[in-house]
Amino acid sequence: MSESAANQPVWDGGSLPAGVVVGRGVVIRGTAALRRFRSQHADGLTVGESSTLDGVQLSVGPQGRISIGRFCCLTNAILMCDEQIKIGDYVLIGWNVVIADTDFHPLAPAQRVADALACSPIGKDRPRPSVECRPVHIGSNVYIGPNATILKGVRIGDGAWIEPGSVVTRDVAAGAHVGGNPAKPVAPQDGETV
Amino acid sequence: MSRTISGDWHNGVIPDNVVMQPGCYVETSYSFHLYRSRRPRGVVLGEGCSAYIGCMFDMGEQGAFSAGRCTLLNGLWLICDSNVSIGDYGLISWNVVIMDNYRASRDAAARRAMLQRFAASRDPAALAPVDARPVSIGNNVWIGFDCCILPGTVIEDGAVIGARSVVSGHVPAYAVYAGNPARFVRCLVKEESRAD
Repeated sequence: MSESAANQPVWDGGSLPAGVVVGRGVVIRGTAALRRFRSQHADGLTVGESSTLDGVQLSVGPQGRISIGRFCCLTNAILMCDEQIKIGDYVLIGWNVVIADTDFHPLAPAQRVADALACSPIGKDRPRPSVECRPVHIGSNVYIGPNATILKGVRIGDGAWIEPGSVVTRDVAAGAHVGGNPAKPVAPQDGETV
Repeated sequence: MSRTISGDWHNGVIPDNVVMQPGCYVETSYSFHLYRSRRPRGVVLGEGCSAYIGCMFDMGEQGAFSAGRCTLLNGLWLICDSNVSIGDYGLISWNVVIMDNYRASRDAAARRAMLQRFAASRDPAALAPVDARPVSIGNNVWIGFDCCILPGTVIEDGAVIGARSVVSGHVPAYAVYAGNPARFVRCLVKEESRAD
């Protein structure tokens, strides 16, 4: 992996911010792609050779790290990362897929009140309560269909197939074919589930 | 002659093989930013049909799509490489995906080869259709927010699909289906049409 050559625009939204490292032939399209990239790590975002991020939005907190492997293709997905999202090689991710390694807000009701206050325009200087984050790991050769949601802590094994619209809350074994909400294994053929 | 839309935020045109019948409305040419159909009538939008800002006609060279009279396409993401049709008086909500193929083989080695071809050529056609199976949606069908309609699905007249459902297979006329995977909920009573 290397820093992008200055004469080859990687991103049509401008020059890449610090902490973004991309390989040869990477294409990032869409001005919103890195608007919410706030990682303080030197490797806050790494994208491997020949991968495409078309219309993807990356929301990365100060401690967040996203790594995307080689020859991946992501279209209009949303990745929200406060800790770590790791994606292997040859991964296809469809339109409007959401991947998040955090719950964004605490579960306990009183903590949520404090969080709502801290997030509000009148709560600027209040510290936010801690929120649970767990890394998301997606293996290589994975297919994720449009409108699917991948939640925190999920590990998806190599070669898995995630049906469109799935909500993935638990680990998916390598080579598994899952669908539904919550996502469960489906018959190996195109599901005639209706 | 290239057709543009007045006040369009996107600097594009409506492709020549998009048929817009009288009174039909397209909000932005951006909806055709991924459009590659070479069929004589790649898209046919019926009288009074509307395609709002959230629509995307992601169509391959062999894709053909039609929507009938007064059908409302609020935010349809169409992935079409064969035939997708929606009848009259349809209501299609935000972020609804209708796809006639997955654009990916179930075989991981074939997917790897496809992604390598795409990276080398940057040609969207390299993301080749795999086993496209037409989708047919009848008249007077209402599809709720965030639904996915999978390849080969047939939805008959008057049916309703609840929000966030994922539909595959056959939905009979005037049925209500919901869930992921979508299941039968109940049947609607067919009344006299109020369209006229």
